[in-house]
Amino acid sequence: MLELHSLSKHFGGVRAVDDLSLTVGQGEIFGLIGPNGSGKSTTVNLICGVFPTTSGAVVFEGQDITDAPSHRVVAAGIGRTFQNIRLFGDLTVWQNLWVAQNSVEERQTGWLTRWLGGQRRGRDYAGELLKFAGLADRANELARNLAFGEQRRLEMARALAARPKLLLLDEPAAGMNAEEVSQLATRIRALRDHGMTILLVEHVMELVMGVTDRIAVLNFGQKIAEGAPAEIRSDPAVRTAYLGTADA
Amino acid sequence: MLDDHLIGVLSNMGMISFIALSAYLVLVVGEISFGQQAFFAVSAYASGIASAMWGWPFLAAVLWGAAVAGLAGLLLAIPTLRIRGLYFAIATLAFAEMVRLALEIFTYQVEQDGELVGPNGSEGFRDIRYIYEADISAGEFLLVILALLAATLAIILWIERTRLGAILRMVGEDPVLARLQGVNVNLAKIATVAAAGLVAGIGGALYAHLNTYVEPKIFNVMLGVHGLAYGLIGGLGTAFGPLLGVALDIGVLESTRAFSGYRMIVFGGLVAVLLIVRPRGLLDEAAVYRIRRFLLRKHAGD
Ligand SMILES: Nc1ncnc2c1ncn2[C@@H]1O[C@H](COP(=O)(O)OP(=O)(O)OP(=O)(O)O)[C@@H](O)[C@H]1O
Ligand SMILES: [Mg+2]
Repeated sequence: MLELHSLSKHFGGVRAVDDLSLTVGQGEIFGLIGPNGSGKSTTVNLICGVFPTTSGAVVFEGQDITDAPSHRVVAAGIGRTFQNIRLFGDLTVWQNLWVAQNSVEERQTGWLTRWLGGQRRGRDYAGELLKFAGLADRANELARNLAFGEQRRLEMARALAARPKLLLLDEPAAGMNAEEVSQLATRIRALRDHGMTILLVEHVMELVMGVTDRIAVLNFGQKIAEGAPAEIRSDPAVRTAYLGTADA
Repeated sequence: MLDDHLIGVLSNMGMISFIALSAYLVLVVGEISFGQQAFFAVSAYASGIASAMWGWPFLAAVLWGAAVAGLAGLLLAIPTLRIRGLYFAIATLAFAEMVRLALEIFTYQVEQDGELVGPNGSEGFRDIRYIYEADISAGEFLLVILALLAATLAIILWIERTRLGAILRMVGEDPVLARLQGVNVNLAKIATVAAAGLVAGIGGALYAHLNTYVEPKIFNVMLGVHGLAYGLIGGLGTAFGPLLGVALDIGVLESTRAFSGYRMIVFGGLVAVLLIVRPRGLLDEAAVYRIRRFLLRKHAGD
């Protein structure tokens, strides 16, 4: 479903992502892990067209989307969350979901209703998303007024609003307590059961090991291992990169 | 009835409100323009030419002026698309100065009843006499200004409640994220800057016809700075914000002659203080949200 071909991104002398190739299959939960600064977020940014690639290609469902503008990437069916929560704080919870939600429906409606439709249009899907994120009673609150955990959940809902086929989650569990992490795991599995493909970037190991089908490990921008969670857990190269020592 | 002084003040407030709304629209999509006076100027000339030289009716001339100003907005929007922040602000300033200098040399005159009519470079453009020939009083013209302002305001307020309104706020708050929600940010910005040109243009056309005379130096950068400051003072959470800014500056400071000679100092100080304590103005998004909630609750309570 998603293929990265020798993807590279250099910032000056820093090779943030270096010749990275990997393939995420349809319906898979694919983990992307690695130490701080190993290039995980940069990989997500390259897939989404946030900044241009240095070399290599991103192919999604057979379509070359390398360096496509972000709104094209979204239209192709990719949604994402950010490591640092990124929401429209001055808009309401509901409005945060409203725009993207229609960007899919817009292929079915005329431009006039698409642009100038009122607030009631398509309430249903946004309502579903809010329920999914446990925010149904917060719909009319400004996003900036939400608590941290609520903002994380809204961000996931926001990423889902354009009805992506592939969801990129960049450290969704950061700052969460154990109970919230287990709720998150439940949500991620529920999404997969609905046919969603997920690329999960995460440091919280119980989450990664618990939900993913396969994992790739990055170190200094390069892939140093790939395999099932159990294989990764016992891989000596991964232990060295991740923990600094082979025996931890 | 209203006395002449009051009619004059209200007319001024009405016309300047178009520049304030124009600068506000650009602020909503996250950019600062010091150049909205250029669109005011372009339309003042274009509409004056239409009514005084081509014999068009007044409303057609206003719409024509606004349309030309909208086109000028498009002309500014496309090359400045890839620059933002300070660079965009400087580009708008340069654009406005270019327009003003172009008007300094723009000459296009025809003979009417043995007299030359039309823009004559730095001499300006005299005898835009439509409202005198049609015998429209200052009071009646004030009503025309207020009607056009109300219509413009209503359209902007309505758009703010639509999906397009949410899109524009998204573009202003976080263009990268807006793109990731599927928004075509470039298109949104181009359309907004063009629309802002059009809005300023309505004011410019009214100005030319009320004063019957315009010259390039009226449209200097201070006009644009004021237009910009009104939104920043009044607030960027609603289109009422820039109007509140106009009311505070012209309505209170200038007209009551409070602070008289110190007015510009008070005004500048007010802007500076507000930018520090309320960077998005008095009626910012949070304030608008609270007001709306209060009104809804009251409504529901009845
Ligand atoms: N916009 C940028 N400009 C310059 N260097 C950058 C930029 N973004 C990332 N980098 C550098 O690229 C490298 C990879 O960063 P990246 O954010 O992708 O790491 P990460 O794996 O997501 O780390 P973390 O686990 O801390 O989130 C780092 O050395 C970082 O400093
Ligand atoms: Mg990261």
